[in-house]
Amino acid sequence: MQSQLANLFYENSLKTPNKEAIWCDGQSKTYKEMADYVSQYSNLLLKLGVKYGDHIAIPMNNSIESVALFFSAADLGVCLVPLNPTLPLEAIKSAMKFGDMKHLIARKAFYNECQKNGGLDVPGIKICLDNDYPDTVPFSCINEMPTTRPVVNNINGDESLILTMTSGSTGNPKPIDISQKNKIDRAMAHIRVYNISKDDRILAATPLYHSLAERLVILPLILGATSILLPRFTPQIWLNCAKEQKTTFTIAVSAQLAQILEVLKQDDSIVIDSFRCIVSSSALLEEKVKYELIDKLKCEFHEMYGTSETSTITNICFQKSPDKQKSVGLPFDEASIKILKEDAEANFDIECNVGEVGEIACKTSLLCKGYYHQEEMMKMQMKDGYFRTGDLGYLDEDGYLYFSGRKKEIIITGAVNVYPHDIDVVLERLPEIKECAAFSYPDDRLGEVVAVALVPNEDAEINIRSVKTYCARNLADFQQPHKFFVVDQLPKNTMGKLQRMNVYNYVQSLGLDKE
Amino acid sequence: MNNKIKEFILDYIQREYTLPDDVDVMELNYVDSGYIDSLGLIQFIATLEDEFNIAFTDEELASSDIKVVGKLVDIISRKLEK
Repeated sequence: MQSQLANLFYENSLKTPNKEAIWCDGQSKTYKEMADYVSQYSNLLLKLGVKYGDHIAIPMNNSIESVALFFSAADLGVCLVPLNPTLPLEAIKSAMKFGDMKHLIARKAFYNECQKNGGLDVPGIKICLDNDYPDTVPFSCINEMPTTRPVVNNINGDESLILTMTSGSTGNPKPIDISQKNKIDRAMAHIRVYNISKDDRILAATPLYHSLAERLVILPLILGATSILLPRFTPQIWLNCAKEQKTTFTIAVSAQLAQILEVLKQDDSIVIDSFRCIVSSSALLEEKVKYELIDKLKCEFHEMYGTSETSTITNICFQKSPDKQKSVGLPFDEASIKILKEDAEANFDIECNVGEVGEIACKTSLLCKGYYHQEEMMKMQMKDGYFRTGDLGYLDEDGYLYFSGRKKEIIITGAVNVYPHDIDVVLERLPEIKECAAFSYPDDRLGEVVAVALVPNEDAEINIRSVKTYCARNLADFQQPHKFFVVDQLPKNTMGKLQRMNVYNYVQSLGLDKE
Repeated sequence: MNNKIKEFILDYIQREYTLPDDVDVMELNYVDSGYIDSLGLIQFIATLEDEFNIAFTDEELASSDIKVVGKLVDIISRKLEK
Protein backbone atom coordinates (compact mmCIF):
# COMPACT_ATOMS: atom_id res chain seq x y z
CA MET A 1 0.00 0.00 0.00
CA GLN A 2 1.22 3.49 -0.79
CA SER A 3 1.39 6.16 1.90
CA GLN A 4 -2.13 7.25 2.81
CA LEU A 5 -0.82 10.68 3.82
CA ALA A 6 0.86 11.18 0.45
CA ASN A 7 -2.18 9.67 -1.34
CA LEU A 8 -4.49 12.31 0.12
CA PHE A 9 -2.20 15.05 -1.18
CA TYR A 10 -1.71 13.48 -4.62
CA GLU A 11 -5.47 12.99 -4.99
CA ASN A 12 -5.94 16.73 -4.51
CA SER A 13 -3.36 17.40 -7.17
CA LEU A 14 -5.49 15.37 -9.59
CA LYS A 15 -8.78 16.96 -8.52
CA THR A 16 -7.61 20.58 -8.46
CA PRO A 17 -4.28 20.73 -10.32
CA ASN A 18 -4.39 24.47 -10.92
CA LYS A 19 -5.45 25.53 -7.45
CA GLU A 20 -2.84 27.29 -5.30
CA ALA A 21 -1.47 24.69 -2.90
CA ILE A 22 1.11 26.68 -1.05
CA TRP A 23 2.55 30.18 -0.72
CA CYS A 24 5.74 31.08 1.11
CA ASP A 25 7.86 34.22 0.97
CA GLY A 26 6.57 35.46 -2.37
CA GLN A 27 6.71 32.06 -4.08
CA SER A 28 3.73 29.84 -4.71
CA LYS A 29 2.97 26.47 -6.26
CA THR A 30 -0.25 24.98 -7.61
CA TYR A 31 -1.23 21.47 -6.57
CA LYS A 32 0.14 20.09 -9.87
CA GLU A 33 3.43 21.95 -9.44
CA MET A 34 3.70 20.90 -5.81
CA ALA A 35 2.95 17.25 -6.66
CA ASP A 36 5.68 17.31 -9.33
CA TYR A 37 8.07 18.88 -6.83
CA VAL A 38 7.31 16.30 -4.13
CA SER A 39 7.86 13.52 -6.68
CA GLN A 40 11.14 15.05 -7.78
CA TYR A 41 12.27 15.25 -4.16
CA SER A 42 11.33 11.60 -3.62
CA ASN A 43 13.16 10.55 -6.79
CA LEU A 44 16.25 12.48 -5.73
CA LEU A 45 16.30 10.79 -2.31
CA LEU A 46 15.78 7.36 -3.90
CA LYS A 47 18.52 7.95 -6.43
CA LEU A 48 20.92 8.91 -3.65
CA GLY A 49 20.19 5.68 -1.82
CA VAL A 50 17.72 6.73 0.87
CA LYS A 51 15.70 3.67 1.89
CA TYR A 52 12.44 2.87 3.66
CA GLY A 53 12.86 3.38 7.42
CA ASP A 54 15.93 5.63 7.14
CA HIS A 55 16.12 8.73 9.32
CA ILE A 56 16.98 12.11 7.82
CA ALA A 57 18.08 15.05 9.97
CA ILE A 58 17.27 18.52 8.73
CA PRO A 59 17.96 21.85 10.40
CA MET A 60 14.67 23.10 9.04
CA ASN A 61 13.59 26.51 7.83
CA ASN A 62 10.11 27.54 6.73
CA SER A 63 10.13 27.00 2.99
CA ILE A 64 8.25 25.19 0.25
CA GLU A 65 11.15 22.70 0.01
CA SER A 66 10.70 21.78 3.66
CA VAL A 67 6.98 21.15 3.15
CA ALA A 68 7.66 19.06 0.04
CA LEU A 69 10.07 16.98 2.10
CA PHE A 70 7.31 16.04 4.58
CA PHE A 71 5.31 14.48 1.77
CA SER A 72 8.33 12.85 0.10
CA ALA A 73 9.32 11.33 3.42
CA ALA A 74 5.79 9.99 3.90
CA ASP A 75 5.71 8.59 0.37
CA LEU A 76 9.04 6.78 0.84
CA GLY A 77 8.37 5.63 4.42
CA VAL A 78 11.35 7.52 5.80
CA CYS A 79 11.48 9.50 9.01
CA LEU A 80 12.45 13.15 9.38
CA VAL A 81 14.17 14.65 12.37
CA PRO A 82 13.60 18.41 12.03
CA LEU A 83 16.12 20.38 14.08
CA ASN A 84 16.29 23.94 15.24
CA PRO A 85 19.09 25.38 13.04
CA THR A 86 20.40 27.48 15.93
CA LEU A 87 21.14 24.50 18.17
CA PRO A 88 24.80 24.28 19.12
CA LEU A 89 26.76 21.42 17.56
CA GLU A 90 26.82 19.44 20.78
CA ALA A 91 23.02 19.36 20.81
CA ILE A 92 22.90 18.42 17.11
CA LYS A 93 25.27 15.52 17.77
CA SER A 94 23.17 14.39 20.71
CA ALA A 95 19.98 14.64 18.64
CA MET A 96 21.58 12.70 15.78
CA LYS A 97 22.64 9.94 18.13
CA PHE A 98 19.30 9.66 19.91
CA GLY A 99 17.36 9.93 16.67
CA ASP A 100 19.43 7.30 14.80
CA MET A 101 19.94 9.77 12.02
CA LYS A 102 21.55 8.48 8.87
CA HIS A 103 21.30 11.30 6.35
CA LEU A 104 21.56 15.07 6.60
CA ILE A 105 19.93 17.86 4.58
CA ALA A 106 21.22 21.31 5.55
CA ARG A 107 22.33 24.71 4.39
CA LYS A 108 25.91 25.70 3.67
CA ALA A 109 26.11 27.78 6.87
CA PHE A 110 25.28 24.68 8.88
CA TYR A 111 27.98 22.56 7.19
CA ASN A 112 30.44 25.40 7.70
CA GLU A 113 29.61 25.63 11.38
CA CYS A 114 30.07 21.88 11.79
CA GLN A 115 33.39 22.03 9.98
CA LYS A 116 34.64 24.81 12.24
CA ASN A 117 33.68 22.83 15.33
CA GLY A 118 35.23 19.48 14.65
CA GLY A 119 32.86 18.06 12.04
CA LEU A 120 29.81 15.87 12.18
CA ASP A 121 29.72 12.16 11.44
CA VAL A 122 26.99 11.47 8.90
CA PRO A 123 26.90 7.82 7.82
CA GLY A 124 24.55 8.38 4.89
CA ILE A 125 24.08 11.07 2.27
CA LYS A 126 24.52 14.80 2.71
CA ILE A 127 22.54 17.33 0.69
CA CYS A 128 23.34 21.04 0.65
CA LEU A 129 20.23 23.18 0.16
CA ASP A 130 22.03 26.31 -1.02
CA ASN A 131 25.20 26.54 -3.07
CA ASP A 132 27.78 23.83 -3.50
CA TYR A 133 29.61 22.46 -0.52
CA PRO A 134 32.39 19.85 -0.51
CA ASP A 135 31.24 16.23 -0.06
CA THR A 136 27.57 17.11 -0.36
CA VAL A 137 25.03 16.73 -3.14
CA PRO A 138 23.64 20.10 -4.31
CA PHE A 139 19.90 20.32 -3.86
CA SER A 140 19.64 21.83 -7.34
CA CYS A 141 19.96 18.24 -8.66
CA ILE A 142 16.23 18.00 -7.91
CA ASN A 143 15.56 19.84 -11.18
CA GLU A 144 16.96 16.89 -13.16
CA MET A 145 14.65 14.38 -11.50
CA PRO A 146 11.51 12.95 -13.15
CA THR A 147 8.15 14.27 -11.97
CA THR A 148 6.52 10.84 -11.84
CA ARG A 149 5.54 9.66 -8.38
CA PRO A 150 7.71 6.71 -7.36
CA VAL A 151 5.89 3.59 -6.24
CA VAL A 152 6.69 2.49 -2.71
CA ASN A 153 4.10 -0.08 -1.78
CA ASN A 154 4.90 -1.24 1.72
CA ILE A 155 3.65 1.73 3.75
CA ASN A 156 1.18 0.78 6.49
CA GLY A 157 0.89 4.18 8.23
CA ASP A 158 2.63 3.13 11.45
CA GLU A 159 5.97 4.29 10.10
CA SER A 160 7.57 7.10 12.08
CA LEU A 161 7.25 10.25 10.01
CA ILE A 162 8.68 12.83 12.38
CA LEU A 163 10.82 12.66 15.49
CA THR A 164 10.45 15.90 17.45
CA MET A 165 13.40 16.52 19.72
CA THR A 166 12.30 17.94 23.04
CA SER A 167 15.51 18.56 24.91
CA GLY A 168 17.99 21.20 23.95
CA SER A 169 21.59 20.40 24.52
CA THR A 170 23.22 18.06 26.95
CA GLY A 171 20.34 16.13 28.46
CA ASN A 172 19.01 13.00 26.89
CA PRO A 173 16.56 14.18 24.26
CA LYS A 174 13.09 12.68 24.36
CA PRO A 175 12.37 12.23 20.66
CA ILE A 176 8.59 12.31 20.29
CA ASP A 177 7.76 9.74 17.65
CA ILE A 178 4.89 10.78 15.34
CA SER A 179 3.67 8.25 12.80
CA GLN A 180 2.08 8.94 9.43
CA LYS A 181 -1.24 7.77 10.86
CA ASN A 182 -0.81 10.16 13.82
CA LYS A 183 -0.41 13.06 11.41
CA ILE A 184 -3.53 12.15 9.43
CA ASP A 185 -5.64 11.58 12.56
CA ARG A 186 -4.49 14.84 14.10
CA ALA A 187 -5.19 16.77 10.91
CA MET A 188 -8.67 15.24 10.59
CA ALA A 189 -9.54 16.05 14.21
CA HIS A 190 -8.62 19.71 13.71
CA ILE A 191 -10.47 19.90 10.39
CA ARG A 192 -13.61 18.71 12.18
CA VAL A 193 -13.32 20.88 15.31
CA TYR A 194 -12.58 24.08 13.41
CA ASN A 195 -14.82 23.38 10.40
CA ILE A 196 -11.87 23.81 8.06
CA SER A 197 -12.79 23.54 4.39
CA LYS A 198 -11.10 23.52 1.00
CA ASP A 199 -11.82 27.23 0.74
CA ASP A 200 -9.65 28.07 3.74
CA ARG A 201 -6.27 29.76 3.40
CA ILE A 202 -4.40 28.46 6.41
CA LEU A 203 -1.58 30.44 7.92
CA ALA A 204 1.37 28.69 9.57
CA ALA A 205 3.61 31.18 11.34
CA THR A 206 5.75 29.13 13.73
CA PRO A 207 8.95 27.26 12.85
CA LEU A 208 8.47 24.02 10.93
CA TYR A 209 10.61 22.09 13.38
CA HIS A 210 7.69 22.38 15.83
CA SER A 211 4.64 20.18 15.57
CA LEU A 212 2.20 23.12 15.37
CA ALA A 213 3.49 24.41 12.03
CA GLU A 214 3.90 20.87 10.70
CA ARG A 215 0.19 20.34 11.36
CA LEU A 216 -0.72 23.66 9.76
CA VAL A 217 1.05 22.86 6.48
CA ILE A 218 0.14 19.18 6.21
CA LEU A 219 -3.54 19.81 7.01
CA PRO A 220 -4.38 22.10 4.05
CA LEU A 221 -2.52 19.95 1.55
CA ILE A 222 -4.34 16.74 2.46
CA LEU A 223 -7.64 18.61 2.55
CA GLY A 224 -7.23 20.47 -0.74
CA ALA A 225 -7.07 23.92 0.87
CA THR A 226 -4.24 26.47 0.57
CA SER A 227 -1.25 26.64 2.88
CA ILE A 228 0.24 30.06 3.61
CA LEU A 229 3.61 29.60 5.26
CA LEU A 230 5.25 32.56 6.94
CA PRO A 231 9.02 32.35 6.42
CA ARG A 232 9.93 34.29 9.54
CA PHE A 233 7.83 35.83 12.27
CA THR A 234 7.57 39.45 13.24
CA PRO A 235 4.15 40.90 14.06
CA GLN A 236 4.42 43.23 11.07
CA ILE A 237 5.30 40.42 8.65
CA TRP A 238 2.42 38.36 10.06
CA LEU A 239 -0.06 41.21 9.56
CA ASN A 240 1.18 42.02 6.05
CA CYS A 241 0.97 38.38 5.08
CA ALA A 242 -2.52 37.92 6.57
CA LYS A 243 -3.72 40.98 4.67
CA GLU A 244 -2.11 40.24 1.33
CA GLN A 245 -2.82 36.53 1.34
CA LYS A 246 -6.32 36.89 2.79
CA THR A 247 -5.74 34.14 5.31
CA THR A 248 -8.85 32.69 6.90
CA PHE A 249 -7.63 30.34 9.62
CA THR A 250 -4.61 29.99 11.85
CA ILE A 251 -3.42 28.50 15.08
CA ALA A 252 -1.01 31.00 16.61
CA VAL A 253 1.02 30.84 19.77
CA SER A 254 -0.15 33.24 22.44
CA ALA A 255 3.18 35.13 22.58
CA GLN A 256 2.78 35.96 18.88
CA LEU A 257 -0.80 37.14 19.33
CA ALA A 258 0.19 39.50 22.13
CA GLN A 259 2.84 41.07 19.87
CA ILE A 260 0.41 41.29 16.95
CA LEU A 261 -2.10 43.10 19.15
CA GLU A 262 0.55 45.64 20.14
CA VAL A 263 1.10 46.58 16.49
CA LEU A 264 -2.64 46.68 15.78
CA LYS A 265 -3.15 49.02 18.70
CA GLN A 266 -0.42 51.37 17.49
CA ASP A 267 -1.70 51.60 13.93
CA ASP A 268 -5.43 51.94 13.41
CA SER A 269 -5.05 51.86 9.65
CA ILE A 270 -4.25 48.13 9.63
CA VAL A 271 -7.48 46.30 8.94
CA ILE A 272 -7.44 42.52 8.81
CA ASP A 273 -10.88 41.21 7.96
CA SER A 274 -10.25 37.91 6.21
CA PHE A 275 -10.00 35.64 9.25
CA ARG A 276 -12.89 33.30 9.92
CA CYS A 277 -11.27 31.72 12.97
CA ILE A 278 -8.11 32.12 15.05
CA VAL A 279 -6.92 29.66 17.66
CA SER A 280 -4.47 30.58 20.40
CA SER A 281 -2.20 27.86 21.69
CA SER A 282 0.79 27.08 23.92
CA ALA A 283 0.07 29.35 26.90
CA LEU A 284 -2.92 31.17 28.31
CA LEU A 285 -3.67 34.54 26.78
CA GLU A 286 -4.45 37.35 29.16
CA GLU A 287 -8.16 38.03 29.08
CA LYS A 288 -7.66 41.66 28.13
CA VAL A 289 -5.49 40.65 25.17
CA LYS A 290 -8.09 38.13 24.11
CA TYR A 291 -10.95 40.65 24.02
CA GLU A 292 -8.90 43.31 22.27
CA LEU A 293 -7.89 40.78 19.63
CA ILE A 294 -11.49 39.70 19.09
CA ASP A 295 -12.41 43.35 18.69
CA LYS A 296 -9.62 44.03 16.17
CA LEU A 297 -9.75 40.84 14.10
CA LYS A 298 -13.51 40.30 14.23
CA CYS A 299 -13.52 36.53 13.93
CA GLU A 300 -14.27 33.42 15.91
CA PHE A 301 -11.66 33.11 18.63
CA HIS A 302 -10.61 29.80 20.19
CA GLU A 303 -8.08 28.73 22.74
CA MET A 304 -6.64 25.21 22.80
CA TYR A 305 -4.67 23.18 25.25
CA GLY A 306 -2.44 20.24 24.44
CA THR A 307 1.06 18.81 24.41
CA SER A 308 3.37 17.60 21.65
CA GLU A 309 2.80 14.02 22.81
CA THR A 310 -1.01 14.16 22.82
CA SER A 311 -1.76 16.80 20.19
CA THR A 312 -4.66 19.09 21.13
CA ILE A 313 -6.63 17.90 24.14
CA THR A 314 -9.22 20.64 24.68
CA ASN A 315 -10.67 23.58 22.82
CA ILE A 316 -12.96 26.46 23.63
CA CYS A 317 -14.63 29.11 21.50
CA PHE A 318 -15.00 32.24 23.58
CA GLN A 319 -17.91 33.74 21.72
CA LYS A 320 -19.84 30.47 22.17
CA SER A 321 -18.96 29.90 25.85
CA PRO A 322 -19.33 33.28 27.52
CA ASP A 323 -19.65 31.79 31.00
CA LYS A 324 -16.40 29.77 30.76
CA GLN A 325 -13.96 32.54 29.95
CA LYS A 326 -11.14 31.27 32.13
CA SER A 327 -11.34 27.68 30.89
CA VAL A 328 -9.25 26.01 28.17
CA GLY A 329 -12.36 24.13 27.13
CA LEU A 330 -13.83 20.70 26.61
CA PRO A 331 -11.90 17.67 25.36
CA PHE A 332 -11.79 16.79 21.66
CA ASP A 333 -13.97 13.73 20.84
CA GLU A 334 -10.74 11.74 20.59
CA ALA A 335 -9.68 12.60 24.15
CA SER A 336 -10.77 12.14 27.74
CA ILE A 337 -9.26 13.78 30.79
CA LYS A 338 -8.56 12.79 34.37
CA ILE A 339 -7.09 14.97 37.07
CA LEU A 340 -4.71 12.94 39.23
CA LYS A 341 -3.27 13.45 42.67
CA GLU A 342 -0.89 11.40 44.69
CA ASP A 343 -2.47 9.42 47.47
CA ALA A 344 0.21 9.37 50.14
CA GLU A 345 -1.24 6.38 51.97
CA ALA A 346 -1.92 4.19 48.99
CA ASN A 347 1.26 5.38 47.24
CA PHE A 348 -0.42 5.68 43.87
CA ASP A 349 -2.37 8.31 42.02
CA ILE A 350 -6.09 8.76 42.44
CA GLU A 351 -8.59 11.02 40.68
CA CYS A 352 -9.29 14.48 42.03
CA ASN A 353 -12.77 15.76 42.80
CA VAL A 354 -14.44 18.45 40.70
CA GLY A 355 -12.67 21.77 41.27
CA GLU A 356 -9.62 20.15 42.88
CA VAL A 357 -6.25 20.90 41.31
CA GLY A 358 -4.06 17.99 40.24
CA GLU A 359 -1.99 16.75 37.32
CA ILE A 360 -3.81 16.78 33.98
CA ALA A 361 -3.76 13.32 32.39
CA CYS A 362 -5.22 12.52 29.00
CA LYS A 363 -6.25 9.41 27.09
CA THR A 364 -6.44 10.10 23.37
CA SER A 365 -6.35 8.32 20.06
CA LEU A 366 -4.09 11.15 18.87
CA LEU A 367 -1.29 10.10 21.24
CA CYS A 368 2.14 9.83 19.61
CA LYS A 369 3.77 6.44 19.04
CA GLY A 370 6.00 7.05 22.06
CA TYR A 371 9.47 8.33 22.79
CA TYR A 372 11.77 6.87 20.18
CA HIS A 373 13.80 4.01 21.71
CA GLN A 374 12.84 5.17 25.20
CA GLU A 375 9.82 2.99 25.92
CA GLU A 376 10.45 3.03 29.66
CA MET A 377 10.28 6.79 29.79
CA MET A 378 6.91 6.73 28.03
CA LYS A 379 5.62 4.02 30.38
CA MET A 380 6.56 6.20 33.34
CA GLN A 381 4.37 8.98 31.98
CA MET A 382 1.36 6.70 31.46
CA LYS A 383 -1.25 5.73 34.05
CA ASP A 384 -3.99 3.28 32.96
CA GLY A 385 -3.74 4.48 29.37
CA TYR A 386 -3.68 8.16 30.40
CA PHE A 387 -0.68 10.32 29.56
CA ARG A 388 0.48 12.53 32.43
CA THR A 389 1.06 15.95 30.94
CA GLY A 390 3.09 17.43 33.78
CA ASP A 391 0.62 20.32 33.83
CA LEU A 392 -1.69 21.19 36.67
CA GLY A 393 -5.37 21.94 36.34
CA TYR A 394 -8.90 21.10 37.39
CA LEU A 395 -12.26 20.22 35.87
CA ASP A 396 -15.52 22.01 36.66
CA GLU A 397 -18.91 20.37 37.07
CA ASP A 398 -19.54 20.62 33.30
CA GLY A 399 -16.26 18.92 32.39
CA TYR A 400 -14.45 22.11 31.32
CA LEU A 401 -10.71 22.08 31.96
CA TYR A 402 -8.91 24.92 33.73
CA PHE A 403 -5.13 25.24 33.51
CA SER A 404 -3.41 26.13 36.79
CA GLY A 405 0.30 25.86 36.13
CA ARG A 406 3.07 23.41 35.48
CA LYS A 407 4.23 20.54 37.61
CA LYS A 408 7.30 19.91 35.54
CA GLU A 409 10.20 22.30 35.63
CA ILE A 410 10.08 23.84 32.23
CA ILE A 411 10.39 27.33 30.84
CA ILE A 412 8.19 28.26 27.89
CA THR A 413 9.59 31.24 26.05
CA GLY A 414 7.74 32.43 22.96
CA ALA A 415 6.06 28.97 22.87
CA VAL A 416 9.37 27.12 22.83
CA ASN A 417 9.99 24.61 25.62
CA VAL A 418 13.28 25.10 27.41
CA TYR A 419 14.52 22.49 29.84
CA PRO A 420 16.33 24.38 32.62
CA HIS A 421 18.56 21.46 33.48
CA ASP A 422 20.11 21.68 29.99
CA ILE A 423 21.22 25.21 30.81
CA ASP A 424 22.45 24.37 34.32
CA VAL A 425 24.68 21.62 33.00
CA VAL A 426 26.31 23.86 30.39
CA LEU A 427 26.91 26.77 32.80
CA GLU A 428 28.23 24.58 35.60
CA ARG A 429 31.11 23.63 33.33
CA LEU A 430 32.55 27.11 33.84
CA PRO A 431 35.28 26.98 36.50
CA GLU A 432 34.04 30.13 38.24
CA ILE A 433 30.54 28.72 38.70
CA LYS A 434 29.81 26.41 41.59
CA GLU A 435 26.11 25.99 40.93
CA CYS A 436 23.52 27.28 38.54
CA ALA A 437 19.73 27.28 38.40
CA ALA A 438 17.95 28.36 35.24
CA PHE A 439 14.40 29.49 35.93
CA SER A 440 11.40 31.14 34.37
CA TYR A 441 11.21 34.93 34.49
CA PRO A 442 8.01 36.74 33.45
CA ASP A 443 8.22 38.78 30.25
CA ASP A 444 5.60 40.96 28.56
CA ARG A 445 6.54 40.00 25.01
CA LEU A 446 7.48 36.35 25.27
CA GLY A 447 5.43 35.30 28.28
CA GLU A 448 8.54 33.98 29.99
CA VAL A 449 12.26 34.30 29.40
CA VAL A 450 15.18 32.27 30.71
CA ALA A 451 16.93 33.66 33.79
CA VAL A 452 19.84 32.10 35.66
CA ALA A 453 20.94 32.30 39.27
CA LEU A 454 24.66 31.69 39.54
CA VAL A 455 26.61 30.77 42.65
CA PRO A 456 30.33 31.55 42.28
CA ASN A 457 33.03 29.19 43.45
CA GLU A 458 34.98 30.25 46.50
CA ASP A 459 37.39 33.07 45.64
CA ALA A 460 36.07 33.21 42.11
CA GLU A 461 34.40 36.17 40.46
CA ILE A 462 31.73 35.87 37.81
CA ASN A 463 32.05 38.16 34.80
CA ILE A 464 28.55 38.34 33.34
CA ARG A 465 29.77 39.47 29.93
CA SER A 466 32.02 36.47 29.50
CA VAL A 467 29.23 34.19 30.75
CA LYS A 468 26.98 35.70 28.07
CA THR A 469 29.55 35.00 25.38
CA TYR A 470 29.95 31.45 26.64
CA CYS A 471 26.15 31.00 26.47
CA ALA A 472 26.07 32.34 22.91
CA ARG A 473 28.56 29.68 21.90
CA ASN A 474 27.13 26.77 23.80
CA LEU A 475 23.37 27.23 23.93
CA ALA A 476 20.71 27.56 21.24
CA ASP A 477 19.06 30.94 20.66
CA PHE A 478 15.90 30.02 22.56
CA GLN A 479 18.00 28.86 25.53
CA GLN A 480 19.91 32.13 25.94
CA PRO A 481 19.47 33.56 29.44
CA HIS A 482 18.03 37.07 29.38
CA LYS A 483 18.64 37.74 33.08
CA PHE A 484 21.67 36.88 35.22
CA PHE A 485 21.70 36.94 39.01
CA VAL A 486 24.75 36.20 41.14
CA VAL A 487 23.73 34.75 44.50
CA ASP A 488 25.51 33.19 47.47
CA GLN A 489 23.31 30.11 47.47
CA LEU A 490 20.27 28.56 45.81
CA PRO A 491 16.97 27.78 47.51
CA LYS A 492 16.95 24.08 48.44
CA ASN A 493 14.80 21.81 50.53
CA THR A 494 16.02 20.01 53.61
CA MET A 495 17.23 17.14 51.45
CA GLY A 496 19.42 19.55 49.53
CA LYS A 497 17.29 19.36 46.38
CA LEU A 498 17.06 22.53 44.34
CA GLN A 499 13.64 24.19 44.60
CA ARG A 500 13.64 25.67 41.16
CA MET A 501 10.10 27.00 41.40
CA ASN A 502 11.27 29.21 44.30
CA VAL A 503 14.30 30.77 42.63
CA TYR A 504 12.31 33.66 41.15
CA ASN A 505 10.88 34.61 44.54
CA TYR A 506 14.29 34.14 46.08
CA VAL A 507 16.05 36.63 43.78
CA GLN A 508 13.14 39.02 44.26
CA SER A 509 13.42 38.76 48.03
CA LEU A 510 17.09 39.67 47.72
CA GLY A 511 16.12 42.74 45.70
CA LEU A 512 18.34 41.57 42.83
CA ASP A 513 15.83 41.98 40.01
CA LYS A 514 15.59 45.72 40.55
CA GLU A 515 19.05 46.23 39.06
CA MET B 1 38.07 45.20 7.44
CA ASN B 2 34.59 46.52 6.78
CA ASN B 3 34.09 43.81 4.19
CA LYS B 4 35.10 41.13 6.64
CA ILE B 5 32.65 42.47 9.21
CA LYS B 6 29.89 42.70 6.63
CA GLU B 7 30.57 39.17 5.41
CA PHE B 8 30.46 37.78 8.95
CA ILE B 9 27.15 39.53 9.67
CA LEU B 10 25.58 38.46 6.38
CA ASP B 11 26.70 34.85 6.81
CA TYR B 12 25.18 34.83 10.28
CA ILE B 13 21.83 36.32 9.39
CA GLN B 14 21.53 33.99 6.39
CA ARG B 15 21.95 30.84 8.45
CA GLU B 16 18.31 29.94 7.83
CA TYR B 17 17.25 32.03 4.84
CA THR B 18 19.00 33.45 1.83
CA LEU B 19 18.43 37.17 1.38
CA PRO B 20 16.52 38.04 -1.79
CA ASP B 21 18.66 39.51 -4.59
CA ASP B 22 16.78 42.81 -4.61
CA VAL B 23 17.45 43.67 -0.97
CA ASP B 24 19.75 46.58 -0.14
CA VAL B 25 21.71 44.65 2.47
CA MET B 26 23.35 47.69 4.07
CA GLU B 27 19.91 49.19 4.75
CA LEU B 28 18.40 45.92 5.93
CA ASN B 29 16.93 45.90 9.44
CA TYR B 30 17.54 42.22 10.15
CA VAL B 31 15.25 42.21 13.22
CA ASP B 32 12.23 43.91 11.61
CA SER B 33 12.59 41.61 8.61
CA GLY B 34 12.72 38.58 10.87
CA TYR B 35 16.14 37.22 9.94
CA ILE B 36 17.05 37.30 13.62
CA ASP B 37 14.25 37.17 16.16
CA SER B 38 14.11 38.53 19.66
CA LEU B 39 15.33 35.23 21.07
CA GLY B 40 18.24 35.11 18.67
CA LEU B 41 19.37 38.70 19.12
CA ILE B 42 21.14 38.10 22.43
CA GLN B 43 23.06 35.23 20.87
CA PHE B 44 23.95 37.29 17.80
CA ILE B 45 25.27 40.22 19.85
CA ALA B 46 27.34 37.94 22.07
CA THR B 47 28.70 36.17 18.99
CA LEU B 48 29.76 39.51 17.46
CA GLU B 49 31.44 40.56 20.72
CA ASP B 50 33.28 37.26 20.81
CA GLU B 51 34.27 37.25 17.13
CA PHE B 52 35.62 40.81 17.08
CA ASN B 53 36.69 40.99 20.72
CA ILE B 54 34.60 44.08 21.38
CA ALA B 55 31.93 45.10 23.87
CA PHE B 56 28.80 47.01 22.92
CA THR B 57 27.71 49.74 25.33
CA ASP B 58 24.20 49.79 26.78
CA GLU B 59 23.41 52.82 24.60
CA GLU B 60 24.49 50.96 21.48
CA LEU B 61 22.40 47.96 22.46
CA ALA B 62 19.37 50.15 23.06
CA SER B 63 19.73 51.99 19.76
CA SER B 64 17.88 50.84 16.66
CA ASP B 65 21.10 51.37 14.64
CA ILE B 66 22.48 48.08 15.88
CA LYS B 67 19.67 46.27 14.04
CA VAL B 68 20.61 47.68 10.62
CA VAL B 69 23.40 45.84 8.81
CA GLY B 70 25.26 48.89 7.47
CA LYS B 71 25.08 50.79 10.75
CA LEU B 72 26.14 47.73 12.70
CA VAL B 73 29.16 47.38 10.42
CA ASP B 74 30.03 51.02 11.17
CA ILE B 75 29.66 50.57 14.92
CA ILE B 76 31.94 47.53 14.96
CA SER B 77 34.42 49.16 12.61
CA ARG B 78 34.68 52.25 14.83
CA LYS B 79 35.28 50.08 17.88
CA LEU B 80 38.05 48.20 16.14
CA GLU B 81 39.79 51.43 15.14
CA LYS B 82 39.98 52.63 18.75
